[in-house]
Amino acid sequence: MASTAPVTHDADTARRNLRVGMMAFAGALFMLGLGYAAVPLYEMFCRVTGFGGTTQVASETDAARAAAMASGQQISIRFDASTASDMPWTFRPSAPTDTITIGQRDIATYVARNNSSQAITGTATFNVEPEQAGKYFNKIQCFCFTEQTLAPGQEVVMPVLYYVDPAMLEDENMKGVEQITLSYTFHRTSGPESAAPAGTN
Amino acid sequence: MATTAEGFDVHGDHAHDAHDHADHKPGFFARWFMSTNHKDIGTMYLIFAIIAGIVGGAISGIMRVELAEPGIQYLQWWAQFMGGANDINTALHMWNVFITAHGLIMVFFMVMPAMIGGFGNWFVPLMIGAPDMAFPRMNNVSFWLTVAGFFSLLFSLFVPGGSGPGAGTGWTVYAPLSTSGSVGPAVDFAIFSLHLSGAGSILGATNFITTIFNMRAPGMTLHKMPLFVWSVLVTAFLLLLALPVLAAAITMLLTDRNFGTTFFDPAGGGDPVLYQHLFWFFGHPEVYIMILPGFGMISQIVATFSRKPVFGYLGMAYAMVAIGVVGFIVWAHHMYTVGLDVNTKMYFTAATMVIAVPTGVKIFSWIATMWGGSLQFKSPMVWALGFIFLFTVGGVTGVVLANGGIDDNLHDTYYVVAHFHYVLSMGAVFSMFAGFYYWFPKMSGRMHSEFLSHLHFWTFFIGVNVIFFPQHFLGMQGMPRRYPDYTEAYTFWHQISTYGYYIMAGSMLFFFVNILYALFAGKKAEANPWGEGATTLEWTLPSPPPYHQFETLPVITDSMDYHDHRPASA
Amino acid sequence: MGQMHTRMKLAGIAALAAMAALFAPVSAGAQDAAAPVAVQATAPDAALVDAVTDAANVEVGAYTPMAPTKGKGMPTDPRSDEPGAMAKSLTFQDQYTDNGEYALGMHDYILLPVITVISLFVLGLLLYVIVRFNRGANPVASKTTHNTMIEVVWTIVPVIILVVIAVPSITLLARQYETPPADAVTIKATGYQWYWGYTYPDHGEIEVISNMLPDEEAVRRGEPAQLAVDNRMVVPAGVPLRIQTTATDVIHAFAVPSLWFKMDAVPGRLNEKLLTIKEPGVYYGQCSELCGSRHAYMPIAIEALPADEFAAWVQSQGGSMPGAEETPAAEPEQVALLTAR
Repeated sequence: MASTAPVTHDADTARRNLRVGMMAFAGALFMLGLGYAAVPLYEMFCRVTGFGGTTQVASETDAARAAAMASGQQISIRFDASTASDMPWTFRPSAPTDTITIGQRDIATYVARNNSSQAITGTATFNVEPEQAGKYFNKIQCFCFTEQTLAPGQEVVMPVLYYVDPAMLEDENMKGVEQITLSYTFHRTSGPESAAPAGTN
Repeated sequence: MATTAEGFDVHGDHAHDAHDHADHKPGFFARWFMSTNHKDIGTMYLIFAIIAGIVGGAISGIMRVELAEPGIQYLQWWAQFMGGANDINTALHMWNVFITAHGLIMVFFMVMPAMIGGFGNWFVPLMIGAPDMAFPRMNNVSFWLTVAGFFSLLFSLFVPGGSGPGAGTGWTVYAPLSTSGSVGPAVDFAIFSLHLSGAGSILGATNFITTIFNMRAPGMTLHKMPLFVWSVLVTAFLLLLALPVLAAAITMLLTDRNFGTTFFDPAGGGDPVLYQHLFWFFGHPEVYIMILPGFGMISQIVATFSRKPVFGYLGMAYAMVAIGVVGFIVWAHHMYTVGLDVNTKMYFTAATMVIAVPTGVKIFSWIATMWGGSLQFKSPMVWALGFIFLFTVGGVTGVVLANGGIDDNLHDTYYVVAHFHYVLSMGAVFSMFAGFYYWFPKMSGRMHSEFLSHLHFWTFFIGVNVIFFPQHFLGMQGMPRRYPDYTEAYTFWHQISTYGYYIMAGSMLFFFVNILYALFAGKKAEANPWGEGATTLEWTLPSPPPYHQFETLPVITDSMDYHDHRPASA
Repeated sequence: MGQMHTRMKLAGIAALAAMAALFAPVSAGAQDAAAPVAVQATAPDAALVDAVTDAANVEVGAYTPMAPTKGKGMPTDPRSDEPGAMAKSLTFQDQYTDNGEYALGMHDYILLPVITVISLFVLGLLLYVIVRFNRGANPVASKTTHNTMIEVVWTIVPVIILVVIAVPSITLLARQYETPPADAVTIKATGYQWYWGYTYPDHGEIEVISNMLPDEEAVRRGEPAQLAVDNRMVVPAGVPLRIQTTATDVIHAFAVPSLWFKMDAVPGRLNEKLLTIKEPGVYYGQCSELCGSRHAYMPIAIEALPADEFAAWVQSQGGSMPGAEETPAAEPEQVALLTAR
C-alpha cells in the first residue's frame, strides 16, 4: 500500500490500542443492543408501571380481591373511541360515560361497524387518561386483547370487563381524579386483498 | 509499519508540497484518497465541513428569503427546480425538505465533521504528543463514510419522498410521518445517510478514545491534558454511547418502512412515542457533542490570549464530564407536550436545570481566566469573547425552556429555534471560527489577515444577532417552527430576521477572501505566532507541522510552563 | 353521523351568509380595538335570522360566529396602530386562563429578570476584563489559577437561583396537571392531514370539521389570515373543559398560545388536559408538530361563549346539552345503540 502508516511505537502499543479500541467498540455495540432492547423494555416498563396511561390486565382472582376491598366510593368512567385514517369502520362507545363503584367490576360495550365492502381485521390500541390512572385500571376481558375481523357491513358489540383498583384511593397522584377516560383506537391490520390470517406483522 | 524516516526534519514546513520526499509524503491520490495521516484527514474534514456548511447555509438562505413575507413566494420555483410538480403541495413539501436538509447537514455534515473530524484529528495527536491517531486506516474509513453519508443525503433530495422530491420529515424523522406518512425512497436515503455518517462517527469516537487513553507522551497524564483533548474525550464517549441508539432507532424506522415491522406503528402494537424517546436519548447528548469541543477550543484560546493558565482546570474538565453524564438523563425535555405524566415532567424539568450549574462553572471560569490576565484581542480571542457572551444568552433561554410548564407555550415555536441557534449557530459556530483562526496559521503555515478576521467577526456578530434575536419575539407571540407561511402579524420580525441573514451571508465573504488571501499572500507563520500564552505542544512544532511528528516522543514534566496543568502544589 | 355532518355543513353555509351580512356594516368597527364589545353584543336582528334560516332551511339557533378582538387571542403586529403594539409584539400573547397568567407571571417576574441579569452580568464582566486587563492596561499577567472560595460561590449561587426558579416551576406543573371534574365539558380534538375535527361526546356527538379559510375570505370576515377557520371549536367560557387530543394519521399538536395550551395529538393514543377559559373571545392557535406538507395550514380557532350562548350553539349544531330531557336531536341509530346496551 502506498499509504504511509505512521510510526507506532511498537507491537505492544498496537496490542494495547487494539484492546482499548475493542472495548470502546464493544461499548458501542452494547448501546446498539440496548437501542433494540428498548422496544420490549419500554413495553414492559409501561405495562408494569402504567406509564403513559397503560392499563393493567387482571385475573379473576385479582378482580375478586379488589372487589373485597371496595368501599362503595364511585368514580366516573368515560369511554372514547377513534379509528385510524385507513380504517373504514365506525367505532363508538355504547354510552359516553358511566359511573361505577371503585373495586367492583363492570362491563362496558363498544359498537363497531364495518362500512366497507370487504372483510377487515383490526386491532385496538388503548390508554387511559389521566395517565396516573393506568396503574389502577384493570381489564379482565377485552376485545382489545385479540384482533377482530368484521365482515362487510357487519356490526358487532364489543365488551370490555374491567374494574378500578381501590388502591387508587391511597395514591396521592390520584387525588382529585373524578373521571377516568378509557380510550381505544382501532387500526387496520389487514388490507382488503390480503385476506391472510391475522398477524401479518 | 514503521516505513518512514527516522528523525523527522524539524524544519520541514512544506506540507503542501506533495513531492517533498524528504518528508516521505505519498503521491496525490494515495495522500488524499487513502490517507492515514491525521493532519491530512483533519484537513479533508475541514474542507468537507466548509463545503457542507456552504450547502446548509445556502438552504437557510432559501428559507429566510421565503420567510421574508407571508405567502408562498419561491417554493414552487424550487419544487420545479428539484424536479417536482408545479403545484402548491409540492411547494409546501419542498419547505419540509429544506428544513430537514438544513438541520441534518448542519448537525451531521458541518458541525460534527469540523469540530471532531477536523480540529479533533488535527490537534488531539499534536496536543498529547502522539505521532498519529491510534488507528490511522480506520480514521480514513471514518472520513469517507461521512462523505458517503453526505452524498446519500444529497441524493435523497432528488428522489420522491411524499408529495414531492426529498425527505420532508424534519431532522428528527419522527414516526409515523417518516414511516407511513412519507411514500418514496427519499426518507430511506436520508436515514441511510445517518447510518453512514453515524458509523463513521462511531469509528472516529473509538479512535479518539484509544488515542487519548494510549498514545499520550510520557508525562502527559490525564490531568495534564489540554482541555481541548478533554473535550474531545468526553465528546467521543457521548458519540460512542448515543449514536448506536440512533442507529437502532432509524434502523427500526427503515424496517417499519420497508419490511412490514411495526416497532413504531400502533397498528402492530408499536408506539410512535417510543421513537421520540430513542431519538432524544441520542439527540440530547448530540447537542453536547456539537458544543463540547467548542468549549475545549475556547478554553485554549482564552488562556493563550490572556497569557494565563486556565482557571480551575480540574473544575473545567469535570464540568464537561458532568455535562456529558447529565446529558443522558434529560432527553424528555424535548417531548414535554407529547403526553407525559406530571411526575415525569417534574423530573425532567429539575434534571434539565441542573445542567446550568456545570455550564455556569465553565462560563465563570473563562472569565476568571481572563481576570488578571494580559489580554490581547487577536482574531481567535474576539471570536472566543463573542462565543462566551452569545452562548450565555443561548444558555439562559435554555433555562426558560427547561421549565416544563413554560415550555407548554414555547415548545415548537421560534423561541426554540432562537434558543438552539444561539447555542449552535453562535455557540458552536463562533467557537469553530475561533478555533479556525487560532489554528489556521499552524495548519497552513500562513498568517491570515487580522483585519479581515475582525471584520468577519463584527459583521457576523451583527448578522446572526439580527437573524436570531427577533425570533425570540416571534416564538413568544406563538409563531410555530417549520412553517413556510404565517399570518400577517409576524411579518415585521421575520423581515428583520431575513435582513440579518443578508448581513451574515455577506460577512462570510470576508471569511473566504481571508482564507484565499492567507493561502496565496499571507506571510509565513512562525512555530508559535501567538506568543508566550500558547503553551500546548502543537506550538512547539513548526507551522505547518512536518508530515510525521513526534517520532521522538516529547516528555512532559511538571516544571514545564504548560498552561493547562495543575500547579504542582495543588 | 353522516346526517349530522350534512346539517353541520348547512349550518356552516348559514353562518357564512350571516357573516357576510354582519360584516358589511360593522367591519370598520371590528378593526377598532375599542369597539369589539359592541360587535360581540350585536343582537341578532331579524334580517340576519332570516338569512340564516333561509340559507340553511333548518331550525338553527341564533348562533353567529363571534368577531375576534384585535390583540386578543392572536399575535400582535408591531406595525399596527394598536397602542403599544410594538411592545406587545415582543412578548407573550395576553393570557386568558389562570394557569396561563401564572405561567406568564413566572416568566415576566422570575425568569425574564433572572436571565436578563445573568446575561448582563456576564456581559459586564467581559467588558470589565476587556478594559481592565487588556495588554496595555495590564502588561504582566497574574498566574492565579485557583480560588476555592470563588469556585464554591459560582457553583452554589446558580444552584440557589435554580431552586428559586424550580419552586414556581413545579407549582405551575402541578396546576397544569389538575384533573378535570367529572362534569367538565368534554371536547375531543382529532388531528387529520390537514385539518382538525372536534367532537362533543356529551352533546349528542356533534362533530365539527375545521378547515383553514382562504386568506381573502379570512380578511373579508375581519379575521387574521391563516388563523381563521370555517367552523370553530366552540366552547363555554368560565367552566372547566376536558380537552382530549388524538390523531388518525401522523402526530399533530393542538396549540393555542393565548391559553398557554399545547398538547400533541398522537395516533393510537388519547391525551387529556384541563382547560378553563376565563372570558368569552376568539382564541387562535396552530398545529405545532410537523405533520406533512400542509402543516402550516391547519389552524385552530376556539370560540369561547357564555354558557347560554354555548347551549344555543349546541342546539344550532343539532346537539343537546347533557342532562337535558332525553336527547331529542339524537339520531335514531344512536338511540337504538343506547337501548341495546
